[in-house]
Amino acid sequence: MAIAKSEKYVNIIDTTLRNGEQTAGVVFSKHEKIRIVGMLDEIGIPEIEIGTPALGAVEREIIKEILKEDFNAKLFVYCEAEPENIEYAVQCGAKNVVINISTSDIHIKEKYKKNKTWVIGKLRQTIKAARKNGITFIVSAEDATRTDLEFLLRLISISAKKGAYRFRICDTVSRLDPFRTFLYISTILSAMDIPIEIYNHNDFGMATANGMAGIRGGASSLVASVGGLGEGTGNAAMEEIVMALKYLENIELGIDTSKFREIAEYVARSSSRAIPIWKAIVGTNVFAHESGIHVDGVIKNPKNYEVFNPKEVGLTRQLVVGKHSGSHTILHKFKEFNIDLTDKEANDLLAMARDMSIDLKRPLFDKELMYIYNEYVKKSKNKKEKLEVAE
Amino acid sequence: MRGIDLFTEFSQKAGTKIDPKDIKIDDTTLRDGEQTAGVVFANEEKIQIAKMLDKIGVHQIEAGIPTMGGEEKEAIKKIASLGLGCSILGWNRAVKSDIDASVECGVDAVAISISSSDIHIEQKLMKSREWVLENVKRCVDYAKGYNLYVSVNAEDSSRSDMEFLLSFARTARDAGADRLRYCDTLGILDPFETFIRVKTIIDIIGIDIEMHTHNDFGMAIANAIAGIKAGANYVNTTINGLGERAGNAAFEELVMALKYIEGVDMGFNTKHFRALSEYVAEASNRVLPAWKSIVGGNLFVYEAESKASGVLANPKTYELFSDKDVGLERKIILGKYSGVETIIYKLNTLGIKISRNDAEELAEIIRNKSVSLKRALFDSEIIDTYKSYKSKKGTRKAVKKGGK
Repeated sequence: MAIAKSEKYVNIIDTTLRNGEQTAGVVFSKHEKIRIVGMLDEIGIPEIEIGTPALGAVEREIIKEILKEDFNAKLFVYCEAEPENIEYAVQCGAKNVVINISTSDIHIKEKYKKNKTWVIGKLRQTIKAARKNGITFIVSAEDATRTDLEFLLRLISISAKKGAYRFRICDTVSRLDPFRTFLYISTILSAMDIPIEIYNHNDFGMATANGMAGIRGGASSLVASVGGLGEGTGNAAMEEIVMALKYLENIELGIDTSKFREIAEYVARSSSRAIPIWKAIVGTNVFAHESGIHVDGVIKNPKNYEVFNPKEVGLTRQLVVGKHSGSHTILHKFKEFNIDLTDKEANDLLAMARDMSIDLKRPLFDKELMYIYNEYVKKSKNKKEKLEVAE
Repeated sequence: MRGIDLFTEFSQKAGTKIDPKDIKIDDTTLRDGEQTAGVVFANEEKIQIAKMLDKIGVHQIEAGIPTMGGEEKEAIKKIASLGLGCSILGWNRAVKSDIDASVECGVDAVAISISSSDIHIEQKLMKSREWVLENVKRCVDYAKGYNLYVSVNAEDSSRSDMEFLLSFARTARDAGADRLRYCDTLGILDPFETFIRVKTIIDIIGIDIEMHTHNDFGMAIANAIAGIKAGANYVNTTINGLGERAGNAAFEELVMALKYIEGVDMGFNTKHFRALSEYVAEASNRVLPAWKSIVGGNLFVYEAESKASGVLANPKTYELFSDKDVGLERKIILGKYSGVETIIYKLNTLGIKISRNDAEELAEIIRNKSVSLKRALFDSEIIDTYKSYKSKKGTRKAVKKGGK
């Protein structure tokens, strides 16, 4: 796997096993967790969040086992800001942690029932515990996008001074659109000298766009998960970000994308959440073409309707015959069956296929196309014979 | 195209107020939605969807492709004759006979679609740019002869040479077209590029613009909104984002994003969103993912203590709008990420009062149980777990007492 990386580089930290698993109803087994880390590591994801030590002894055992394995990726565990949680992380053998704390007034007042001074105190204590143990730490500001900017900058400044590896800006309630994200991140970076990481949710369908806008604004790292698995509507999907960086921004991360479908399938099965067939990048329908215009275009040159080759993400192209098909599709499809049709035959068969598709309320299987063809051949033969008899 | 000072431009636009009256929804669930490989609506379903869309208040319905004939044509005819409050639009290639078919259906608006990118012109149409412009002019003239509202769709706008796209828009405008549909056919723009391209067309040509965006890189909604910020006043949406490949801009996401992020309330009755989404999901034979933005069944279901405890204190800690706003229901479940506050609350709803100490002990038991089951617990399992915890604790106490 030697894909040349581009000069501009963006770090991806995958949170499938942490915020992904935190999704209501989703639980990965130990075996699945290890397998998922292995797959992400293999394709070249540089950083992975693997779990939350404070959850209990069972989770800590799983984390310990993952940390024992020999992976290239930098592995992080997740801690709410609390010195005790750092102890749990240390017990697992973790070297890198994410320290999370809510920073918005509404969270501080309603969730913590505390004040800003308390937040600063908690953060300082937790950082102290991490430093004492020689741990690399990212500081994560939950609900950062509803936080008083002055207070947020103060927390960033404290984190930077104390040697934080990075600072994470969480758009916890999907408060921003890409333009505001861009502004927000560039504003922070104009005042602060610390790598910024962006974390998005998909409540309004903009997680990926906001993540990309954050990068445009200067963020050097982005939190993503396989298939966008995450609480509520989920997070920015790892596969969407990697492909968008590559094809919209010309940033090549050196990640082996051909395993995307396989990994998405494994995570889907482990989380009991089927991949919608229309899921961007990895859905099976993304390279399925039915409408006459599109199929005609794709047959002439796939680039007419495809930005990248399906193989690049481990999928295959499908030409579907249904209500919206055109005669070109029929000609092409039967060529696959080694049958060369005349234009008239193709048009007649198209009419029959469309009727059948409307009747069945779905596209046709290859077999059904052959039935139609046989029926058509029989009919034309009968007609011919009748004509001959009449003569 | 990056000559403009991006930062200044975006800073200004990030906070610009948009007038809700200026934005109109043209829903294409029945056309691009149905054109999705594998999706076929029955005619009764089409009529039902049209009625629902009209009732909720969309401004225009793209009802289908009249030139396909047969059942398709019948459905469009029927929808156009329902006397709905919204405009009904038929989709056409830039071919006169297509427009004739639309006229026969009795629609009041037509979309005339033709590619504007060189790759499509050369490789798909096998024609020239001049040929495209001539056809635009000819077909707009023709449709205007019938006094129809005319949208000219520049297919593959995003890969079109900007100079040519401007000529295309100018030709459409001069021929009397009412709007230009900007089609990001392959979903390859990001919001910043979208903004600049759309703004350029509006500034130079001055024609109404409709945004038609695809979700191939997960940016359909962001791009549609970027178009609006640049001055576009129509958006082509579909329910659930149903559409070719990765789909289109989802109606429900666009409306809610405009309302809660941009502060633009278009006045739709959002309470019907879940019902509308369910109906289209059923008719298109595509299950609504539990995590689908705005209308997914799992959106107001909380398990993790950090979130659930916040929501229990005040839903606004994690919600910009409430469950009822979109026809969903809030729910707390217990699993691997549950904690004390959530457990006390949940047991209380099941009619059990539990002390903080007990809840702490029970939390560990519940988390382990969830890990071994690989899922959240059912209510009955929660009650059973609580009961067995209580009886064991009772035994422990009894043993202790006996020991004394």
